[in-house]
Amino acid sequence: MQELLARIAAQSSGWIELRYQGRSTKQIAVRNGELEESSSKRIQGIGIRALVDGVFGFASTTDLTEGGILKAIEAAQGAARTSASAKKHRIEDLATASFGVGSFPVPTQDPLDAHPLEEKLALVLRIDNLIRSGSASIVSSTTSYGEIQDEKYIVTTDGAKAHLFTSIPEFRVMAVAEKDGNQCFGNLSNAVTGGWSDLFADRSPEEMVDYAVAMAVEQLSAPHPAGGTATVILDPGLVGVLSHEAIGHTVEADIVLGGAITAEKMNEKVASELITMIDSPHTEYSPFATGILPVDDEGVEGRKTTLIENGILRSYLHNRETAAHFGVEPTGNARAFEYSDAPIIRMRNTYIEPGKASLEEMIGGVKDGYYMCGLGFGGQADSNAEFMFGVREARRIVDGKIGELVRGATISGNAFDVLMSVDAVGDDFKWDLGAGSCGKGQAAKVDAGGPHLRCKATIGGRQ
Amino acid sequence: MIQETQLRERCREALELTKKHGADDVEIYAEASTAISTEIEKQDLQMSSSRQETMIGIRAIVDHRIGFASTNALEDLEATCTDAVKLAKASPSNEHNVLPEPRPVEALSELFDPQAEAFSVSDAVRHAIQIIELAEKKDPRLVLGNGEFSVDMTGRCLVTSRGIDLFERNSLFLYNALATAKDGDVVSNMAFGFDAVHSVDAIDIQAIVDKACDDALGSLGATSGESFAGPVLLAPQAVQAVLAGFLSFQLNGKNVLRGSSRWGKMLGNAVAHPSLTVVDDGRLSGGAMSGAFDREGAPRQRFVLIDKGEAQGLMHNTFTAHAMGTTSTGHASGSARALPGIGPSNFMILPGDQSKADLVAGMKQGLLVNRFAGSSNPISGDFSGVAKAAYLIKDGKIDRPVTGTLIAGNAFEMVKTLSGISSETERVFTAILPYIRLEGVSVTAE
Repeated sequence: MQELLARIAAQSSGWIELRYQGRSTKQIAVRNGELEESSSKRIQGIGIRALVDGVFGFASTTDLTEGGILKAIEAAQGAARTSASAKKHRIEDLATASFGVGSFPVPTQDPLDAHPLEEKLALVLRIDNLIRSGSASIVSSTTSYGEIQDEKYIVTTDGAKAHLFTSIPEFRVMAVAEKDGNQCFGNLSNAVTGGWSDLFADRSPEEMVDYAVAMAVEQLSAPHPAGGTATVILDPGLVGVLSHEAIGHTVEADIVLGGAITAEKMNEKVASELITMIDSPHTEYSPFATGILPVDDEGVEGRKTTLIENGILRSYLHNRETAAHFGVEPTGNARAFEYSDAPIIRMRNTYIEPGKASLEEMIGGVKDGYYMCGLGFGGQADSNAEFMFGVREARRIVDGKIGELVRGATISGNAFDVLMSVDAVGDDFKWDLGAGSCGKGQAAKVDAGGPHLRCKATIGGRQ
Repeated sequence: MIQETQLRERCREALELTKKHGADDVEIYAEASTAISTEIEKQDLQMSSSRQETMIGIRAIVDHRIGFASTNALEDLEATCTDAVKLAKASPSNEHNVLPEPRPVEALSELFDPQAEAFSVSDAVRHAIQIIELAEKKDPRLVLGNGEFSVDMTGRCLVTSRGIDLFERNSLFLYNALATAKDGDVVSNMAFGFDAVHSVDAIDIQAIVDKACDDALGSLGATSGESFAGPVLLAPQAVQAVLAGFLSFQLNGKNVLRGSSRWGKMLGNAVAHPSLTVVDDGRLSGGAMSGAFDREGAPRQRFVLIDKGEAQGLMHNTFTAHAMGTTSTGHASGSARALPGIGPSNFMILPGDQSKADLVAGMKQGLLVNRFAGSSNPISGDFSGVAKAAYLIKDGKIDRPVTGTLIAGNAFEMVKTLSGISSETERVFTAILPYIRLEGVSVTAE
């Protein structure tokens, strides 16, 4: 396939990008001991972008013969040509880049396909039963396993020729506890780039169950927090959500051009000098991050990108078009979820660099505040960096000690104000976005994380 | 042109292969689609594209065990057939895993416009340019941030070992515009216009541009609102966000089986104000989601969910119907990529007898909410979020646009105490909805 694509590219007139993707997915879902879904999906196809007269056109096809691919190239070029006469702003040039060449396998010793379906199904059923036997208060359980395996070839007329693989398994548990008609839930998910044993390297399914059950049951008798501004310690999960959702999207160059709050802030102070934020195609500090992307879907080699350096905004995230517009090098952030999607600017692994403080010191320095872990129910963020997230687990901190659990807490504010208020950055690190996907018209597997942070934010209780 | 004969042959082939590999019962659902689209960004054409795909989904049943596998790689169909059987054999059995028997299905003639066949990228571009130009002509203060014009042509085919053998062709033109108005430093809320029609002649670009642009212009100069508990008039887009999902969740057979619907046990009882009638019409003339049959081959129908405030019917697919001792209502939903779920098709809240103007005139102090950005929990009924493109109403008149205003309430209570439904309705995505005036909503100005 790669040779066919390379030959076709070599014979083409004008710039084109050919991207073959073969994807196989599996999904197993069990609810209250009953199997709700056991399914597999295999899709393959080619997505083609052509640049004609300064305008992109796109076509996708499942016809993988030479004739089928040539027909799709014509369609993409035709689509570009048709709109060129009426387009007001043409693309003058695409930024040059270091292109990906070669093969990029998944680094795992324990491939998913080495484990039969029966093993995966048995695990999901066993864990789902374990949730319901976890406490007499548990009234409902949901457990699911999913996996995505991709193979891609990316070839462009200006030099990319990459063969890439991805393998992302994920596991989710949810427990619902009830008392006097009042329901609370606890949940947790794991996801990794890697194989079967990598999925549970950080926490076993049993540990996930223990956490979800404890969280559901404990919340039944927990009070709601008092609203207002407070000193909070965010765990790596929430630091990741804040970095990705509330900051990361505002530095995607297409969003910047659409009028994000960051448009006028390049090289200005936007956060405490303790903060250095990165978006990386690699998995620094800890293995298995789900946004690993050695070569992006424009064929550009991924570069570790420093977004904020010691509090100063240093870079946006680019594709080749926006990099040319801003006169910088592309960062390797152009991504397409399926073959039929055109690449757009997306994050990869977004994190805050670890600092020097121990978690004990950070907690010890709080007289009255909260320790907040993980994304809970609901959340939204705008391109002005205003955000509101539900918190999975929030506990009071009183006189330097972690105290009681509170339920239904939310955290909100302007993400840059929150980062400006940071007075301690932990010396630890974790990827902890769980099994979620980022949505921007199409999905993307991304990860995020960091150390613990101490900052100020607005806490909301019951609406 | 999507070839009916070819698609049927592939489905029958997949059916035989799946049976050969050990399935007792088999359902093959295929969708062959071609799509053309042109996107708009910042008042300029963005990328145009064309896509084609045929997806086949295979549901295999072995001793009441289900496996589902799907693919678009048709040259490797047998591998997908064996996957489905393998998944079924590994699964636990459930007596409600059955396929439906064939029922009479009456074809719908108006779903496909032969003119769509000749539609090309240049036609999509022409319509997209029209969206941009109409917005530009309307008012120099308008910025068309995003938009799209697309046409999807789909042939769907369902063949089962129980004897269902159906094919249906569909063309759908979808177009939308997202507008903001800017007057100096003052920026309005975003406003949205959308439509989906089956025929070329029904395309009405002007209407969606007017909708997006008028709403954007109207909300210019919004200032801080007032806090009170009282009447809120939800416009159709806000009705969709606050109430439509809640209503269809409560009357979804799957949620009733799971015990997460309070209304499941209240059929025949009043759950809402007597002025509220909710219908799902799968055969609605011109309806975006209309079709002769559902994802499992059951006939689509006009189905009353709530009649004058009384819960009348639950939406079922074959699984939930079997589990609850009834027959499918034709609400099996979803694509060839997944097992059938349950969902409404053309969801409608029927119009009331007061005009929108009358509903406004009847409010001493209130809020008109055009859009809602927030959460609406369908289990608890709690909703809370930001009122977008909202107007303060004073003494029966629209007083001024307001910003930064939160609304919150509970849908279970408020569908009982609602005080008016408009005679005007609008299409919001796949739903057709009126203005609804709720009472006792908590309104908080930031």
